[in-house]
Amino acid sequence: MNARKLVLVFVALVLTFVLAACAAPEPTKAPAPVAAPTTAPAQPTVPPKPTEAAGPKKGGTLTMVVWQEPENLNQNLSTMTVVGYVAELAIEGLVAVDNKGAIIPVLATEVPSLANGGLSADGKTITYKLRKTKWHDGTDFTCDDLVFTRLVQITPNSGSLYAIDFANIDTIDCPNPNSAVVKLKNPRGDWWRYFSGLGYAMPKNAGKPEEFKTWAYNRKPIGTGPYKVTEFITGDHITFDRNPNYWQEGKPYIDKVVVRIVPSSEVGLQLLKSGETDVMWNNTEADLPALEKMPNVALFAAPQPGGERLILNLTKPGDPSDNKTPHPILGDLKVRQAIAYGIDKDSIIKNVLNGKAIPGAGELNIDPYNCNIKPYAFDVAKAKQLLDEAGWKPGADGIRVKDGQRLRIKYQTTTGNKLREDSQVLVVENMKAIGVEFFIENQPSSLLIGSWGANSPRKKGNFDIIMYTTNAAIDPHSQMFNYFHSKNIPSADNQGGANYSRWNDPETDKLIDQAGALFDWPKRKDLYCQAAARVVDGASHIYLYGRMTLQSFNTRVQGWLSSSWDGPLWNIADQWLK
Amino acid sequence: MTRYIIRRLIQAVPVLFVVSIMVFGMIQIAPNNPLAAYQNNPNITPEDLLRLEQEYGFNDPIHIKYFKWISQTLQGNWGDSFVTHRPVMTEIAERFPNTLYLSGIAFLLALLIAIPIGMISAIRQYSLFDHAVTTFAFMGQSIPIFWFGLLLIIFFSANMQNPFAGTAMFPHPAPLPLFPGGGMTDLGEYPPDPLVDRIWHLVLPVTMLAVFQLAQHVRYMRAGMLDVLYQDYIRTAHAKGLRERAVILKHAFKNAAMPLVTVIALEIPNLFNGALFTETIFSWPGMGRLFFNSAERGDYTVLMGILMISATLIIFFNLVADVAYAFLDPRIRYD
Repeated sequence: MNARKLVLVFVALVLTFVLAACAAPEPTKAPAPVAAPTTAPAQPTVPPKPTEAAGPKKGGTLTMVVWQEPENLNQNLSTMTVVGYVAELAIEGLVAVDNKGAIIPVLATEVPSLANGGLSADGKTITYKLRKTKWHDGTDFTCDDLVFTRLVQITPNSGSLYAIDFANIDTIDCPNPNSAVVKLKNPRGDWWRYFSGLGYAMPKNAGKPEEFKTWAYNRKPIGTGPYKVTEFITGDHITFDRNPNYWQEGKPYIDKVVVRIVPSSEVGLQLLKSGETDVMWNNTEADLPALEKMPNVALFAAPQPGGERLILNLTKPGDPSDNKTPHPILGDLKVRQAIAYGIDKDSIIKNVLNGKAIPGAGELNIDPYNCNIKPYAFDVAKAKQLLDEAGWKPGADGIRVKDGQRLRIKYQTTTGNKLREDSQVLVVENMKAIGVEFFIENQPSSLLIGSWGANSPRKKGNFDIIMYTTNAAIDPHSQMFNYFHSKNIPSADNQGGANYSRWNDPETDKLIDQAGALFDWPKRKDLYCQAAARVVDGASHIYLYGRMTLQSFNTRVQGWLSSSWDGPLWNIADQWLK
Repeated sequence: MTRYIIRRLIQAVPVLFVVSIMVFGMIQIAPNNPLAAYQNNPNITPEDLLRLEQEYGFNDPIHIKYFKWISQTLQGNWGDSFVTHRPVMTEIAERFPNTLYLSGIAFLLALLIAIPIGMISAIRQYSLFDHAVTTFAFMGQSIPIFWFGLLLIIFFSANMQNPFAGTAMFPHPAPLPLFPGGGMTDLGEYPPDPLVDRIWHLVLPVTMLAVFQLAQHVRYMRAGMLDVLYQDYIRTAHAKGLRERAVILKHAFKNAAMPLVTVIALEIPNLFNGALFTETIFSWPGMGRLFFNSAERGDYTVLMGILMISATLIIFFNLVADVAYAFLDPRIRYD
């Protein structure tokens, strides 16, 4: 019996060792740390240029892994990021945004402007010269397709995403098949996003507008782009074949692109390492140590637009219809600024984000709308002084008191996000040091940042401080208008409003209204930046940090030009495989 | 017996009705809806979001929503997904074969291996073989399955080369991983023969799934066998001079299999629900991921479709288990 027990123990030990050996990651093979050209934050990696002498090589199959399942490939119906990043292989806009944030012509032969007469002085008439090209099914791309797309968008109950935006288009006239005159009811600064982000042109034979949601087109869209969808296996992969009739002569170079759905990022990294995939979208800071050890992988890193912030409620919580009575604590500017000065952003970035993030400064932080706002310095003395001036005096346990009230504030974010929870701990510590008590009461994101109908606290104004990430689109108007214009303070009459901090400042309203009606980029930028600066000075949003866009490419992929505004394959027509 | 079966089937109808109300209610209590994923998206305006919410009726009272759902379901229309806008049954029909393929093979494999091993282990109780089996079964059940799957990938996909790369079996030139790190088919330029490809892609996920089930089934089989082996009728069989093999296979096995039959009958409906962890790790588009994604997005028509089919299967296979008892144990009668 004893001998048997010994054998048993031995077997168990052997098995344990075998498993332990499997678990040890990469025992001895640590490659020399030469390969991955990671960059310092704030400056994008210079991507490898196609060698002039040899010229790009043709052929091959490129594979990209994405962790989310694209629900369809029609951006008029879905605005999930992954849908756009995959659909852009087949679908093109009239114009596009390049990796520097500049607008470039695509299906339009030039970008309409005041200078070239494409844009009228009142901003209400836009004239596009359309490229002579064909849809994947061989029919001509014409102005009628734009008319049809608008019709689909404004058809009631079609499920279209941009009905309200497209209702602002009065008419689209087609003087000839290759020019389109778009007349707007009200001018808007981001007019160029029509058919180039706010929906994309669809061929007029795609289906009946009222059956829009159930078109076969939605999974196999007919576009004009460099690749056509040949296979869509739900949840597994989507295959694209080269479009031989692409309007850019000789392009694209790669024969086939496969998008694989790999829900686990750990597995995605293994596929990248083994070379089974070439491109991975949406890496996180936690992937960096593994990525930097892969000799066959080049990394793109650049700051993301927007970022994590504390949204402070300036009005008294409790009554959703009352958006006037100031918050008993946060209604005071000095208290809000004290909180801003009291947070040590650098320590959060160092301890929680592996140092790979930039300190949060303001709403508009990257080109083409980079306001270069200076972040609040970490200044404990200043914070304490502001609280003293506001009449909050330290109590027996160090937490400040005023008129018998404790300086105690509810601090909420979404549950289950380790990054957020870790940074909360540091912020709570920071606040304690200046005599402010933050208490955490997190909620699931569906509840915390849900809709009016679902009684979300941010919509109903029933919170003190909420922390999460949001960002402006490439044109900042919608974000600035929705988050900071007093018209958009949520109420029973305006349930969609997103001015959650209840920032009510006539000067900000004026700046945003003016900017929204302008077409002159430098002037618009100046106005938006003034508005963003007012928000920062008023500390209604306190910006914590901005994360990096991280995309990884196998070194055999050449010619990529990444940006934070778009997916890794946005310029696929110029990419090739070594 | 026939009357018993008919009675049970009739009873199932009100049960399913109550289940549908409870499940629908629980889904609706969750505060998200399929548009919640767009809430912070700068590309869509809050006005348009609100319009879509009204268009889809997400803010209707719960009983109205239920009534809409049940009336169309009774007419045989399970509705459309709010996320993909395709019929719920299309979504399920697309995923179910993948799940059946993966989970079914793992299930059968686990069973075929577990039954003999469990029996031998019980007959030779406390032998070296028995100790090895119980240790393995204990480990198989306690290893975190997610971690085990990752180990398989790191070990057999990322760090081991396929020795047959470049041959007729695997036209892909070296280096090629020993086994693929996920997916159902090879998507590269050099796909292997379809049958080889299928098996090649199944090895790791089936291993991951089967190890856990195998461990569980071995324990049931062993325990069932041990219960039976020392009973009087087995001793009688031995005394009659029957051969060991006949005693075990003819007399002991039928009764020893009873606990396992219960477990299996209750596990078959789970085949329909898929295996979320395995499907996630091995990028396998099965029912588990469909359910998880739908739950995350609050896509309640799809959730209702999956849950109602699942409930029906559970009721049905409970009946099957009961009938199987009667077959295996003549003492059990239902009439």
